[in-house]
Amino acid sequence: MKLYTTLQALCATPSVSGREEAIREVLRERIVPFADEVRVDPLGNLIATKKGSSAGKSVLLCAHMDEIGFLVTFVEENGWLRVAPVGGISFAASAFSSVVSENGVRGSLVPEEKVKPADYTADRFYIDIGAKNCKEAQKQVSIGTFFVAEGGVRRLKGKRVMGRPLDDRIGCAVLLAVAEQLAEVLLEGDVYYVFSVQEEVGCRGALPAAFGLAPEYALCFDVTATGDVPGTAPMACSLGGGAAIKIKDRSVICCEEVVKRLCSLAEENKIPCQREILTYGGTDTSSMQLAGGGCRAGALSIPCRYIHTSVEQCDLADAEACVTLAVAFVKDAV
Amino acid sequence: MEENKTKQQELKEQILSLCGIMSVSGFEPRATEAIREKLGAAFDELTVDAVGNHLLVKRCGRAKAPLVLVDAHFDEIGMLVTELCEDGFVRVASVGGLSATVLQAADVILYGKEPVRGVVTSTPPHLKKNDEESLPEAEELLVDTGYSKERLAELVSVGTPVGFSPCYSELLGGCLAGKSFDNKACAAIAAYAIAHTPKERLAADVAFLLSSYEETSAKGGVSAATYRLQPDYAMVIDVNLATVPDVPKRETVPLGAGVSLSVSAATDRRLTAMTRALCEDRAIPHTMIAAPSSTGTNATSVNLVRGGIPVVDVGLPLRSMHTYNEVISLKDAQALCELVEAFIGSQRLADTFGYTEKEELPI
Repeated sequence: MKLYTTLQALCATPSVSGREEAIREVLRERIVPFADEVRVDPLGNLIATKKGSSAGKSVLLCAHMDEIGFLVTFVEENGWLRVAPVGGISFAASAFSSVVSENGVRGSLVPEEKVKPADYTADRFYIDIGAKNCKEAQKQVSIGTFFVAEGGVRRLKGKRVMGRPLDDRIGCAVLLAVAEQLAEVLLEGDVYYVFSVQEEVGCRGALPAAFGLAPEYALCFDVTATGDVPGTAPMACSLGGGAAIKIKDRSVICCEEVVKRLCSLAEENKIPCQREILTYGGTDTSSMQLAGGGCRAGALSIPCRYIHTSVEQCDLADAEACVTLAVAFVKDAV
Repeated sequence: MEENKTKQQELKEQILSLCGIMSVSGFEPRATEAIREKLGAAFDELTVDAVGNHLLVKRCGRAKAPLVLVDAHFDEIGMLVTELCEDGFVRVASVGGLSATVLQAADVILYGKEPVRGVVTSTPPHLKKNDEESLPEAEELLVDTGYSKERLAELVSVGTPVGFSPCYSELLGGCLAGKSFDNKACAAIAAYAIAHTPKERLAADVAFLLSSYEETSAKGGVSAATYRLQPDYAMVIDVNLATVPDVPKRETVPLGAGVSLSVSAATDRRLTAMTRALCEDRAIPHTMIAAPSSTGTNATSVNLVRGGIPVVDVGLPLRSMHTYNEVISLKDAQALCELVEAFIGSQRLADTFGYTEKEELPI
């Protein structure tokens, strides 16, 4: 179960949006064997290139390596840290959780006493790092220190996994597996593997990456919501239902040619898949589609329950289906 | 007067012929053949790019001519099938700004393997409880097709686009009501103007762009096309909110009083002033509207492509925007047509904004 061991390593490394150095190093080490060239762009995107044999069409495969988190905005007299959210944080989902800073400081993220869950907002929360006072706290953290909820992933029944940040380390794991499978394959066009920064704060990193690479096709690998848990909005997407071929989310309508090609490749190769429409949320697909002169962009999503919490759940069978389908797509398109 | 009537009649036909084409955002490439058939003959080239922009080029025939971009987005609001339910119902989600108020009871077409007619369902008043006034969320709407689920599954799937059924009526005072005038009425009028301008009268090569994704993306497909084209100057044409009772006059433009010209931080002051002068010289009816930070149209996007593109934002007044009974005036259509003719024929604009050192059209 190679995907799972990769996922374990990736989820154990905290890297909030804008501070992706740690995860980038982990990913760099893993992508190097499968690429002809690996570089980091000025924004911090990790860009690996598998060079084509001639001037075929190029494909960019992208997964974001950042995660949502918290930013220290103020240190109180008695050592409490006040924080602002980075990315789509739900404070209801973050209350009473264990958090860790970019420099390894641990603490409890808690609401003030007697605040009702309905009133959970950033200004009613603080991190308690065990410091006696402001001076002691400031020895370890300062305004601008980033925290994330503690990461880690565990196995459930069968191929189900639980933990964080599956969004989007599972996409990164898929990308690594695709790169490994394509490593020995002779292709005419270039294949670019991009591990992007700052997706959670507005799909920012993928934009300059796609602009610079100007690919013919772009595929994004990210998690998507499901409609298979109690009380969710209607959505024909389920955990274990296969690779989710994105048609639309809030940020993008995917290229119809890419959607059709993915659907027919899945059918030909008997890869489990489902057609995905997410009526909220955005992905790097949107930035890549309209970067520079534009490209044919689509996405393969890994269905995920409880997104942006510490108990995100995915089915590795879906991730494996994404790997197989992506490899088929690249071979077909390049 | 007679001449005006004939022109308005021709414009009406052109508008109605384009507005029935399905072009829900994301499905623009499905319109390629219809565009080629209806507009292609009057242009030198037709190309479709990676993000669904259709580019029609008409060359003036002179070497090193400047390049003027005339943009009218071609995509339209609509819906996508999100789920196939029992008994021939499908669930749909809106594409672009559509509200349930407008959608309920609408007559629609599901553009599957073959077109399937349907109506958006609504709860009859008899079945509503007294306090039940709220509308469903746009994502919870159902379309009734009358088919069985099995038969329907052969024709449509999750992701099939859904559009309003084409239907048009003529109102008094030279007004038209119908679907997708936003923005294919503008596209039709501009196409007519460019097609009817002999190439000797063009002051520049004309890149006529039927752009994609305007309804669903802040940047729009126009940003990608403009990036490739590098035009010297540009006119963005889109519909503009027309005045109706109960909305503030200062945020709308009157219907039937000509085109609107936006004054905005997102557009070029000099180009706007010169375009206004063109209107005045040729007695083209027009109104000015302030759009302080953003025009809310493709102009805001074109403005900041590469090193910046001088752009003017032109509007066709339209009432009841984003419904299947949008209302426009043929008088305004004629004004817009005359303005586009004047704009692409203006040597003064070409001399002011054209940079002749460019080798050729960099498509």
